This record gives sequence, C-alpha cells and structure tokens, in this order.
Amino acid sequence: MKVNERPIVRAEGLVKQVDGPSGPLTIVNDVSLQVFSSESVAIIGVSGSGKSTLLALLAGLDIATEGIVWLNGQCLDALDEDGRALIRARQVGFVFQSFQLLPGLSALENVLLPLELAGRDRADDRAREFLDDVGLLNRAGHYPSQLSGGEQQRVAIARAFAVEPSILFADEPTGNLDNETGGRVADLLFRLNREKGTTLILVTHDPALGGRCTRAMSISDGRLSEIEG
Amino acid sequence: MNPWFMAWRMLRREWRSGEIRIVLLALIVATAGLVSVTALGDRLDQAFEKQGSALIAADLVVRLPNPPPDNFIARAGRRRLAHTLATNFRSVVLYEDQTLLTDVKAVRPGYPLRGELSVSVGAGGSRTVSGPPRRGEVWVDTQLLARLGTTVGRGVKLGRKAFTIAGVITLEPDRGGMGFALAPRVMMNEADLEATGLIAPGSHVHYRWMLAGATREVGAMRQWLQEHGVAEGELEDVRNARPRFRVALDRGARFLSLAALVSVLLSGIAISRATQYYARRHWDHAAIMRCLGATQSEIARIYLGQLVVLSLVGGLLGAGLGYVAQQALVWILPAMVGVDLPLPSYKPLLVGLSASLLAVLGFGLPAVARLRDVPAMRVFRRDIGAVPPRVRVLYGVAALVITGFVFWLADEAELALWILGGTAATLLLLALAAVTMIKALSRWRGGLGASWRFGVGSLVRRGSSTVAQTVALGIGVMGLLLLTVVRTELFNAWDDRLPPETPNHFLVNIQSNQVADLERFLERNGAGVARLTPLVRARLAAIDGRPVEPDDYEVGFARRMVERAANLSWLEVLPDDNKLVAGQWWEPGQWDKGLVSVEQDYAAALGLSIGDVLTYRVADRTFDVRVVNLREVSWDSFSPNFFLIVPPDLLDGFPQSHITSFHLPAERGDMIARLIDQFPNVTDIDIEAVLRQVMRLMDRVNWSLQFIFIFALLAGALVLIAAVQTTRAERRREIAVLRALGAQKRQLRLGLLSEFAALGVLSGLLGAVAAGLIGWGLAQFLFDIPYRWSAGLWVIGLLGGGAGIAVLGYLASRPDIEAPAWRLLRQSE
Ligand SMILES: Nc1ncnc2c1ncn2[C@@H]1O[C@H](COP(=O)(O)OP(=O)(O)OP(=O)(O)O)[C@@H](O)[C@H]1O
Ligand SMILES: [Mg+2]
Repeated sequence: MKVNERPIVRAEGLVKQVDGPSGPLTIVNDVSLQVFSSESVAIIGVSGSGKSTLLALLAGLDIATEGIVWLNGQCLDALDEDGRALIRARQVGFVFQSFQLLPGLSALENVLLPLELAGRDRADDRAREFLDDVGLLNRAGHYPSQLSGGEQQRVAIARAFAVEPSILFADEPTGNLDNETGGRVADLLFRLNREKGTTLILVTHDPALGGRCTRAMSISDGRLSEIEG
Repeated sequence: MNPWFMAWRMLRREWRSGEIRIVLLALIVATAGLVSVTALGDRLDQAFEKQGSALIAADLVVRLPNPPPDNFIARAGRRRLAHTLATNFRSVVLYEDQTLLTDVKAVRPGYPLRGELSVSVGAGGSRTVSGPPRRGEVWVDTQLLARLGTTVGRGVKLGRKAFTIAGVITLEPDRGGMGFALAPRVMMNEADLEATGLIAPGSHVHYRWMLAGATREVGAMRQWLQEHGVAEGELEDVRNARPRFRVALDRGARFLSLAALVSVLLSGIAISRATQYYARRHWDHAAIMRCLGATQSEIARIYLGQLVVLSLVGGLLGAGLGYVAQQALVWILPAMVGVDLPLPSYKPLLVGLSASLLAVLGFGLPAVARLRDVPAMRVFRRDIGAVPPRVRVLYGVAALVITGFVFWLADEAELALWILGGTAATLLLLALAAVTMIKALSRWRGGLGASWRFGVGSLVRRGSSTVAQTVALGIGVMGLLLLTVVRTELFNAWDDRLPPETPNHFLVNIQSNQVADLERFLERNGAGVARLTPLVRARLAAIDGRPVEPDDYEVGFARRMVERAANLSWLEVLPDDNKLVAGQWWEPGQWDKGLVSVEQDYAAALGLSIGDVLTYRVADRTFDVRVVNLREVSWDSFSPNFFLIVPPDLLDGFPQSHITSFHLPAERGDMIARLIDQFPNVTDIDIEAVLRQVMRLMDRVNWSLQFIFIFALLAGALVLIAAVQTTRAERRREIAVLRALGAQKRQLRLGLLSEFAALGVLSGLLGAVAAGLIGWGLAQFLFDIPYRWSAGLWVIGLLGGGAGIAVLGYLASRPDIEAPAWRLLRQSE
C-alpha cells in the first residue's frame, strides 16, 4: 500500500440507522475505511451483518445517517442524486447476487445498456468485445430466462466492466451459484480486475472468496474491522 | 445519451422479447373499442337526421312570404345545396256544380328533396314519384275524392284553369305534423300557377323554400339565413317540425352518447390497467438503470418516451382497427340497420385517438413519476417503492383530464354528470368494499380448505393490487350492465310510449248533435272507445284591451296564429301528457270563470304572460279570458292537444264542434267511406301513412341502437379481457413457486378460481348496485321515463360478473398452470 497515494474510496464515520418496529435500528455503525486504486478489498460477514447496506452507502446508492463518503476524491454528500448518478455512470460498476439483468433485453442488449446510458461511442463493438471476454458471444441474442445462473452472472460481469469503471462493487457475486460455477465466475472477476486495473470492493459471507482479495475486512453487527493477513 | 432515442431503442428491444406486447394489445383493443363505437354512433346519428329529413321532404325548410330573393338562391348554390320551392295557398275547387275549399300546393321539379311522394294512378297501385304533376294535371288526396264524389280521370277547375285529376296522393312526406290540416289537398305544377290567376297581391300565399345537402353546409346556410333577416321561427328542420320525431332523435342521440361514454370508461379501465402493468414491470428496470448511472430525469424521459410511442402506435393501430371493425359490421349486417349509413366524420377517429392518448398520458404520467422515484436501493431490498405524495396529485390530474374529456364527448352535461358521478361513487364504494373484504378475508381464511386458502390468501397478500383490480373490474361490470340490463330497461320504457293502437285517424268538424250517434257508430265498428273533445273556434281580437291585427306581427308563427281562428277546448283537469310550467290549474269553483291555460310556445310567440286578458270573438260575440297558467304539451302522444284550454262551463252556449282520434285497424279501412256517408260534414284525417312512416323510422332507430349496444358490449367485453390479461404476470411468479413447492395443478386451479370468483362476486355485486343507481338517475332525470328495478340486473351482475370474471381470470392464468414449472420459474425471475 502506497501511503502517499490518495484513496479512491474513502469513508469516515459512516452510520446507517433505520426505523424498526421497536425503535431505531443501527445497521452500519461508525465505519471508516480507505481503499486505494487497483486494490481488491473483501468485506466478509454473516448474513444480516450489514454488508449490502454498507456497499450501497459506499456506492452512493443510499444516503448515510451520519458520516461522509468520497469516491475518486468527490464528496458524495456534496452531490445531489443526479450528480451521484453521473459518478455511477462514469466510474462505478455493479455485480449483484441476483444478477439483476433486465428480463426484456437480450444478453448483448443488457451489456449495451450502461454503454448507451453513458453515451459511449462504438457501444455495440465494445459490448460484443466484453461479451466475448466472458465467453458468451455465441449467446448474445439470448434472453436472461434462456441462460443458466452462471451465464447470467457472466453477462452481468460483462455489463459491469463494459463501461470500464474505476471502481467495481460486487455483492455476493457467487452467492447464487454452485461452487464450481462460483469459482469460475470469481476467476473471471479477478482476471478482469487485474487486466483493467479496476478497484474491486466485494462483499461476501464466504471467507474463501474473500481470501482471494488483496485485502480483507470483516463486518459484524454493522461494525467493520481489518483482518490482518 | 439522448433519452428519447434510448426510449425508442429500449422499446424496440422489449417489444422483440414480448415483454410489452400485452400493454400494446390492451391499448389497441381499448382504442379500437372506443373508435368503433363512436364511429358507428356518429354514422347512426347522421343517418337518423337524414331519415328524419324525409318527414319534411328536405333538410331545412324556410318559410317565406315571397319567393326566395336571388341572393338566397346564389348562396344556396355556393353551398352546393339542392333546393326547390313549394307554393301553398287555400283555394276553392270547382267540380260540376260543387265547390270545396282545399289546401293547394304548387311544386317544382326536385320536390321532394328528401323522402318519397307516393301517388296511386288508377288501379295500378301506388308508385313513388318525384317532381310535380304534368302540366294540366293535379294529384289530390282521398278526402277530396270522397267529399266531391269524384274519381281519378275527371276534371276539376282551379281559378281560371281546368285540370285533370291524374292520381291520388297516398303519402306526402311533409304533410304529417300535428297542426290540423283541415282542408283536402290539391297538388299542382308550379308552371300552371300563372294560368289559374289565383296568385294576386293580397292573397294569403305561403312559400316553403326547401333545401338539402351536406349536414355542415345546411348548418352554415341556416346561420347565414338568420344573419340575413330570416327569423329563427321560420326555419324548419326535422327537430322543430316533428316534435314526435325530435324526441326520438334526442333519445337516440342520448343512447348513442351513453354507449360512447361507457366505451370511454371501459377503455379507460383497460388503459389504466395496462399502464399499471407497464409500470410494475419496469420498477426493477428503473432501479437497475439508476445503479447503472441513469439520472432520474433521464429515467423519466425514457419511460415517458416509451409511453408516448406506445400510445401513438396503440392509438393509431387501434383507431384503424376500430374503423375497419365498424365498417365491416356495416357491410356484413346492412339489413339490420336498414338505413344507408353515411360515412363517419373525422370526429370519431379524432375522439378515439385523443381519448386513448389522453388516457395513456393521464394514467401513464403517475406511473412514470413512480418509476422516476423508484430508489436504486430496490436492487437490494425488493420491498422498496412507496407512493410519493406527488403521484397522488398526478392521479388527480388524470381524473380531471378524463372528466373533461367525458364532458366534451357527451354534448350533454347532465348525462356526463350522471355517468361520472356514478363512476366516482362506484370507485369509492368499490375501494372501500375491497379493503373491507381483504380485512375480513384475512380473519376468516383459517376456516377454508387449502386451495381456497391459497386463492383467498393471494387476494390478501396483494392488498393494494387487489383493491385496484376490484375497482377496475367493478367499473367494468357496471359499464357492461349499463349497456345491457339498464339499457333494456330504459329502452322498453321508451317503446311503451308508442303503442300499436296509437290513433291513426282524426275526425274533425263533428257537430254537437252528432256526438252520441258518432260514438255509437265508432263503437259498433270496433274503433274502440274514442273520447270526443269539444272545441270552439274563435279569433283573437285583443290582448289586454289592445286590438290585435295580423299585421302587428311579422311573418311567422305568431302571425299565422293570429290570422287563423284558434281552437279552444275545455277540460276539468290537466291532461296526463301536459305539464304545468307556471301558474295554477283551476278549482271546481272556477269552472265558469273567464280563465285560460296557454301552451308555453304559443304564449312566448304572442308575448303572453300570466295575468294577461285575452279577448276572443266567435261570430259576433266576444268573451274575455285571463291567462292563469302555462303548459308544456307532449306533442308526441298523437292525441288531440290544444294551445288554449278554458274551464268546462265557460263556453256553454257558444257554437261548438268536436274532434276525436281513434285507431282504425287496417282491415277495417272500409269504415271511413260509411262514416263519411252517414256524417257528411265530418272530415276524416288519415295519418296512418305518416304514422307508419314515423314508426318505421323509429323502428330503425331502435334497431340501430340495439345493434350499437351489442357492438359496444362486445367491444367492452374484449377490453375487459385485455385488462384481466395484464394481471397474469402478477400471478406468474407465485404460481411458479407454488408449483415448485409441490402444489397440485388441481389445487392451483381451484385456488385461481376461488380468487377470481371472490373478486368477481364483489365487483359483480357492486357493479350491479352502481349500474342500477345510474340507470335510475338517467331514467328519472334525463330520459324522463319510469324506471323499474329488475331482478335481472342482480342476477346477471352477480352470476355473470362473478362467473364471468372467475372464468376470464382463470383462463388468463391457465397457461401458467399448465406450463412446465421450471420454465415459469425462469420467466418470472
Ligand atoms: N430499510 C431497512 N429497514 C429495516 N431493516 C433493514 C433495512 N435495511 C436493512 N435492514 C436490516 O439490516 C440488516 C442488514 O441488512 P443487509 O442487507 O445489509 O445484510 P447483509 O449483510 O447484506 O445480509 P445478506 O448476506 O443476507 O445479504 C438486516 O437485518 C436487515 O434486515
Ligand atoms: Mg446482502
């Protein structure tokens, strides 16, 4: 870790509280962290520990009750929803546990979507390139319902890398897949992460997957702690 | 990125995948239903007017004191209107040594412009003719032959010229009317007029300038004439000339309006369901796109763009389809309508398209607003997506837009109010009932079998969606019931008003000493019990002491009323078909007082109001009467009605005659000859032909209306089916999961059936209540006819609604039960 470098993701004193049936509930509790460019960081925790919530806060999908997040030096608090959307469009990619492909679009069209939203030129070529990268060019015209879970997740990964984001957030990317398929999807994720120099922030309950990252942290009851290793 | 372009691209892609076909289908069906019903209605409306024109032989008649000036004729030419002139006057006909006062009508080629003139020549039966008799010939009516004891082929003299009777008029289209035509008819060629020497300055000649052409041109001409000195009262069209038929036309138009409004409602339901479905399908899309960096305004524009394209495509295709559908129907079933239907105007297409667009935007904008506000967090937690307050505002706007639209379409505020008010009340009622039902069901669920528990449970689980569905289906059932049961009720009540024994003969000039004999004669000859009404013919001499002369009035109704003697009748009580609009009817103690009850139009024409004293002259005697009340007369009852009625004892001792009307069955036609033989002074007016003509027209109107209602019903049912189809997707995932969990198909079927049956019974019941109430309101306040609550409404509402919706809903979701479970699970991801 280069100390003089500026972190690409930085959080300071993040708290997320929601109103539960029996008073306010703290899901993320005083989390601070720094992630540097090209790092891959795993946040490991059991179900319900607050992983997804934290990820959403870091990505600017949700707003923290307290605390500040910087992405690429930009303070998210200083931006309105449209400003945050712009950052997502240019610098952030997502991979979700349940794939989240649009059922009405084919594999290729799903990969095209972020490219078109960001107004990239040569969108079609790029989308094909990335679909090829994940080995699914021959399935370009198929709809999500015609693909297996692993294939869907590979399409989702192609979609996430297609805009060449500087940061990629992955929420349990292998959680819905069997070990072998999960392993292959993880291989793909880390390969692209290396090749494209993307920063990867990955949350998972699986220590094995977490272990493949350059750095791992653990979360429990909303509190984050560094795992030395 | 250009969001509009993006919208178009995404739409095309989703279309290919089949995702949004059901939405487009619903839009197409909704628009097609609306357009076909309004187009057909428009055509029928136009046809009715044209048919009605047959009753006055033209689209517009201008009554003039002189032949039309050149600028009138030039203007009619420029408007491409056909026109002809009829010259009317009274003159004595000479036959051997007898004379007879007749109504002479001199016509030109072209007459009649509308309808047909039938003349029977010799034994050859009647034939339809147009244009005038040949020069030197006249056509007369049977009355003239009977009174003069002559036949076709003999000669008569009119003024200085001799004519041959060449035929007997059996149907003269513009003769009808309820103003008593006392004198026999002679019809001659205008070219012979000069030679008779009868038209001289000072003779009472009335000209009827007849015009016919395109509806819009006639309307423009009418306006132009009014701007050029022709008084409103001198313009005659079928509406003001034939009150009986006007009533029929107005009711017909109202029924058409009703059909169109219900179509709007049903289409609105389908469209609201379709947009709702569309929005739901895109919630996840919106959230994912937010994650992918789309801004809210981009998302709003993308979905708005999609909706606009969908509504345009759906609207255009639907309008085209609707147009073709109604045209095909008109081709297939011409006999049913029995009327040559004019092509529809551009209006229904415009109406259908704009209605569909407005409805899509009205319901779609709130949907888009919700999509715009779907938080990105939905990708993590699917339960997110509450309705932000401003969406409610947008729904309010949608309601306002649709309300305004219905008003615009209805022409008649009252009809729109009843329909809208009824719908709004029904909406509330349905929503309330649905919420209550869900509460109740969630409590009782335990006592039911497994399948029922599942079916009923789904209703409870999908709470808000269940409410929306109950409301939509309830309104749908209400609309369909309005189109069937309630419409039949209104229709039957209306039909009752023109019974087969409607009088077809009027006898006038009956002397007091003949009354008893005539009554016996009629009874013996099976003409039924006829009420003989006495009358005194009197001339209006003064109003409030001021002498009255015809020249005090400009040409027109008032002048004609003053020119000729008025018929005063007397009555103890107000007749059933009359209605007091001002003042009081007389008490028995006032029966010998100088009072008079005046028909309201008559009073208006002469400027009379309550308290005015009228002086009438009979021969050399005069008497005064004071106006005590004004009446509205139902001229369409075909029984004698009078402008002026006085108390029973006032006119004792004045020379009086009687009139009566009765129904003469066709097979007893010979009775009239014997009647005239026995009572030679009595004049018989045969209105059978006119009555038949009116009845035939009304039959056609009826048929056409039945036809359009059946059509609207079919269209409505289709629209509802499209609406139910959109609920399929909501159930798909649930069915898939249950199948995967090992539920039997039978259980699922029962579950679905029970779910839809519960929905159906509730919406059927409430739909029936609402339809009944609206029907009652329409009958009571708009159609002015008694309304009978029918058991049919409830039976059909409950059984038809309940069973119909159960079956429809079941059929819509059946493919999901039958398909392999694994495929479903995938599709529903
Ligand atoms: N809006 C909310 N309202 C109430 N509770 C919430 C809300 N959001 C999250 N929670 C709760 O906070 C806790 C953390 O949620 P989160 O989704 O972050 O867990 P997670 O670590 O991602 O779990 P999993 O591995 O199962 O996905 C859970 O107990 C969840 O139920
Ligand atoms: Mg999670």
